[in-house]
Amino acid sequence: MAAHTKNHDYHLVDLSPWPLLGGIAAFILAVGGIVLMHADMPWLFWAGVVAVLYVMFGWWSDVVREAETGHHTPVVQIHHRYGMILFIGSEVMFFVAWFWAYFDAAFYPDEIIQEARTAFTGGMWPPQGVEVFDPWHLPLFNTLVLLLSGTTITWAHNALLENDREGLKWGLALTVLLGVLFTCVQVIEYSQAHFSFSGNIYGATFFMATGFHGFHIFIGTIFLIVCLVRAIAGQFTPKQHLGLEFAAWYWHFVDVVWLFLFAAIYVWGSWGATIAQH
Amino acid sequence: MAQAQAELAHDNHGTPTGWKRWFYSTNHKDIGTLYLYFAIFAGVIGGALSGFMRWELAEPGIQIFPGLAQLVYGVSADASIDAGKHMFNVFTTAHGLIMVFFVVMPAVIGGFGNWFVPLMIGAPDMAFPRMNNISFWLLPSALLLLLISLFMEGPPGAMGSGGGWTVYPPYATAGQPGPAVDFVILSIHIAGASSILGAINFITTIFNMRAPGMTMFKMPLFPWAVLVTAFLLLIALPVLAGAITMLLTDRNFGTAFFDPAGGGDPILYQHLFWFFGHPEVYIMILPGFGMISHIISTFSRKPIFGYLAMVYAMIAIGAVGFIVWAHHMYTSGISLDTQRYFVAATMIIAVPTGVKIFSWIATMWGGSIRFTTPMLWAIGFIFLFTVGGVTGVVLANAGADRALHDTYYVVAHFHYVLSLGAVFTIFAGWYYWFPKMYGVMYNEFLGKLHFWIMFIGVNLIFFPQHFLGLAGMPRRYIDYPDAYTFWNSVSSWGYVVTIVGMFVFLVAMIDAWSRKRKAADNPWGEGATTLEWTLSSPPPYHQFENLPRFK
Amino acid sequence: MTGLSFRLVQASLAALFALFPAAAFAQVGQPVQGQLGFQDSVTPIMDSIVSFHDHLLMWVITGIVLMVLVLLIIVILRFNQRTNPVPARFTHNTLIEVVWTVVPVLILIVIAIPSFGVLADQETVPDGERLYLGSAIFSGGNVEVPEPTLTIKATGYQWYWGYEYVDDGFDFVSVMLNDEQLATTKPDEPRLLAVDQEIVVPVNTTVRVLVTAADVLHAFAVPSFGIKVDAVPGRLNETWFNARKTGMYYGQCSELCGKDHAFMPIAVRVVEQDQYDAWLAAAETGDFTGANMLLAQAD
Ligand code: HEA
Ligand code: HEA
Ligand code: CUA
Ligand SMILES: [Cu+2]
Repeated sequence: MAAHTKNHDYHLVDLSPWPLLGGIAAFILAVGGIVLMHADMPWLFWAGVVAVLYVMFGWWSDVVREAETGHHTPVVQIHHRYGMILFIGSEVMFFVAWFWAYFDAAFYPDEIIQEARTAFTGGMWPPQGVEVFDPWHLPLFNTLVLLLSGTTITWAHNALLENDREGLKWGLALTVLLGVLFTCVQVIEYSQAHFSFSGNIYGATFFMATGFHGFHIFIGTIFLIVCLVRAIAGQFTPKQHLGLEFAAWYWHFVDVVWLFLFAAIYVWGSWGATIAQH
Repeated sequence: MAQAQAELAHDNHGTPTGWKRWFYSTNHKDIGTLYLYFAIFAGVIGGALSGFMRWELAEPGIQIFPGLAQLVYGVSADASIDAGKHMFNVFTTAHGLIMVFFVVMPAVIGGFGNWFVPLMIGAPDMAFPRMNNISFWLLPSALLLLLISLFMEGPPGAMGSGGGWTVYPPYATAGQPGPAVDFVILSIHIAGASSILGAINFITTIFNMRAPGMTMFKMPLFPWAVLVTAFLLLIALPVLAGAITMLLTDRNFGTAFFDPAGGGDPILYQHLFWFFGHPEVYIMILPGFGMISHIISTFSRKPIFGYLAMVYAMIAIGAVGFIVWAHHMYTSGISLDTQRYFVAATMIIAVPTGVKIFSWIATMWGGSIRFTTPMLWAIGFIFLFTVGGVTGVVLANAGADRALHDTYYVVAHFHYVLSLGAVFTIFAGWYYWFPKMYGVMYNEFLGKLHFWIMFIGVNLIFFPQHFLGLAGMPRRYIDYPDAYTFWNSVSSWGYVVTIVGMFVFLVAMIDAWSRKRKAADNPWGEGATTLEWTLSSPPPYHQFENLPRFK
Repeated sequence: MTGLSFRLVQASLAALFALFPAAAFAQVGQPVQGQLGFQDSVTPIMDSIVSFHDHLLMWVITGIVLMVLVLLIIVILRFNQRTNPVPARFTHNTLIEVVWTVVPVLILIVIAIPSFGVLADQETVPDGERLYLGSAIFSGGNVEVPEPTLTIKATGYQWYWGYEYVDDGFDFVSVMLNDEQLATTKPDEPRLLAVDQEIVVPVNTTVRVLVTAADVLHAFAVPSFGIKVDAVPGRLNETWFNARKTGMYYGQCSELCGKDHAFMPIAVRVVEQDQYDAWLAAAETGDFTGANMLLAQAD
């Protein structure tokens, strides 16, 4: 604030329309979603999506501008780090819910008092009649893709730290490519599923857990693309590159979630089960 | 502090004016004010809904809801009985959700937290001032969705979501296929997102923006309380988000999370919900604990007794709060061993809570107490929260809960800790900080009158409900066997008294705002030691432009 | 307040209730106007709940509340600005802090011991050998309860109950009587509690109840038996009771299930063994009217 002489390094942000618009956009998105689900009328939903994206774009553009104009003092950067870590923490808890649902069924498919479930599963996990994916096929491949992408993003980061702009761009570009590859493979895998999303607990827990993970991969990929664009535009310095760092953290987070999914659902969950053949 | 004066001189520079100040705000005090008004607005709605419930329950038989349904939904007289029965459940549901998500949480965390955490830790604002504002602006959207749900189809042929604030499936899935429940779900989603962002903001602010010299263990108790609360929010809410997302997909995309025919389990939802729901009840009370500590200390003119123990007690309550959730599910068919564990874990919470109660009393002990309005609310709180807390300990025993679960005993328990607990802390905080926030004094007589009438009213409402519960009256009932008449009518009369109290509150506020008695920077004298009292009343738009040094 | 003081207050309130037309004479199996405590118990399980609550929990929580109240009053009287103008400055007292941490722990342990006993009794179906606590909640158990000889499956529907006598191979539904039906068929029974066909069981017999639901959640509860268990679709929950006194015992659905949640009561009629045998014989043929007539004649 111009009229003031502040003697601290905190960032007192200017007035901004984005929060209000964000609230309104969320409202449109919510109503649009319901209209879509109940009246099969998609335009309001998409309007909501556009509105939310517009707010995000406007908002983060402001953040980038503020970063470029020196508002992100060291202490403000620390704030951002905390914010990002806490956000990822909340995301972890979100996945806890999906794992909880999965293990609730996977650990107890045969409780006698749970008549209906036991009848459905045949007392076993995965439930009778469900042909699961071979974990050592596409899922393993995707695990390797993600692990590899973990190294490329680290490469990009280290390249930046050494002021190697080419390495930065290549590392990012490769990570993006690997992310896209992962998504494509996941889509192929989904299309080959021998169980359905609806009507059975295996499909529900499988698709929602891996699906939300896939959605996070998608977000993470966009985040990385933004970083790539910014890197190409000459942004980020070895000293200040929170956006990149956060993209990397986020990416590692989705990576780790995948490892748990892979271990719990694909590997452990297919123990002794019928593996689908294509 | 000299600097406070200097800031006063600056007061009018750079303060945005007009509608942008309130709609585009990035100022923690303005946003806090928005939150408080929002809470009052929602409180009026939530309180009115409960008024209709009490009116209906004043005598046996179905009284007002059929007429209400005709009035509101325009249903025919023939259909109005069924519509009215459902409408009662819709009111109970909306009342619970509004009070929890749109009154207490916005008031204690968004309102007082926003206003006073930065002031008390000597920070110029929150860590993320702009994100702070979206935490607020998501709430009107969420409330609007909830209100719209009242006018959408729930179960076939009836309006609104009537499954309780807990939204248990299968009644919330197969039982109510209409869009009303989807509106409720998305309302909770958005309110939850608001709280998660708020939690991130508070944690970051408290960890990183304390005034130089203010170590964590020199920090006042209110920021501590908000810090613990923020962690509870951050950990608990995403799990709720997952749970209600499962509801949403079960409802609309045919997943079978809670559908036994597809191998799912309705009880899974209860686990997920209460994993959030129990921490949620501490989310509603911990900030109040923080406020009470300051008020007690201020008006006893004595430092807080056992500061460290108070901090650790809050941390303990927060931590243990995560491992007791299934005490809401004793009758659901969980195994004996599971119940044993949750009995033991739940009772443990009485210990740190007791430490807080006794430390407040010890703070007063040897003090020189002034019975101002906020102090009355605080003392009232200590007593009534104890009453609500000990009935919680009764319920904690699965063996006793067998008889009491889903009866009015539970309703009595949680209103003692909420309506006579959390809401009392809100009023205590409101009167305590009113001079600071608005720069004017309220009228002590009116404030005290408000307290006494409310105190009598809410006790009349809720104490008899213990008897109803013991005698077996189930909750969420629009009509009851005639034997429950007496205590129900007492309870409903209590509501009338309470409303008179709220009317006095209104008068007190009109009086304060119209008389404009200028409040001193520190109207409470030497007992008030925290940083907000070093500033002007109201504080400058941007305070602490030179950070205060904390000894 | 304990059972005794409950009754004292209750008596003094009796005058008030004379104002109410329906003011009830003490009756088991249903609530009474102005009642302060539990409904009367007729099973060992409810005995132990009553004992646990009235003779232990109530003492403890009343004591704690009174103690806090007394402390507050002392503080208010002794340490206000008139009586004590100069405040003390102390902020610590290790001894007292230890005391108010340890003593509650001890109190909780005292509560927990019978609590676990009461709970285990409820959740353990009698095998004929296990001894139950009854009202002696601190004993190791001395009430004998026979093995169950009757199994009833209760299924919650929106909005009535279905009952199946599992071993006898018949079932029926039980629907609340509306005001008209009540007036014409069972004028002596309470509104909202009376049903067209109640469960009939023999006295002093252990009955196992299997509880489930067909649509949404409900809960099967009978206060004077001390039982309450959720009816969950796809799940078969279990409880049991052994009533020592004949009569009608009412309960109400105790899990929100929709618009008529308040209107799907549970009614259990406990009769002498020979009456039950006669009733059963008729009921097995599907002749419930005749079966009920037999009971009516016996009364
Ligand atoms: C602010 C909100 C709040 C708070 C603080 C509490 C506090 C507690 N609650 Fe409560 N509770 C609710 C809100 C709250 N609750 C709500 C909303 C519901 C119903 C939800 C629904 O179904 O809709 C509920 C329901 C509920 C149940 C489920 C009942 C049922 O559905 O059958 C149980 C069971 O264990 C329980 C227990 C407790 C306990 C043990 C505490 C403890 O934390 C209390 C601790 C405090 C004290 C004990 C008093 C002070 C202590 C002393 C003076 C020391 C000495 C004391 C002893 C030695 C005992 N609560
Ligand atoms: C904080 C939570 C809260 C509060 C304050 C209240 C307040 C009240 N409640 Fe409620 N109640 C719940 C939470 C709350 N309730 C919940 C969670 C349920 C369960 C729902 C369910 O079963 O699903 C419930 C259920 C419930 C029932 C049971 C319904 C049933 O089972 O069918 C009843 C019945 O009498 C009732 C009555 C009342 C009354 C008369 C009041 C009040 O009217 C008392 C009077 C108080 C006021 C009028 C003040 C309100 C105003 C403010 C708090 C704003 C102040 C803000 C500032 C100053 C900034 N409530
Ligand atoms: Cu059936 Cu409530
Ligand atoms: Cu709880």
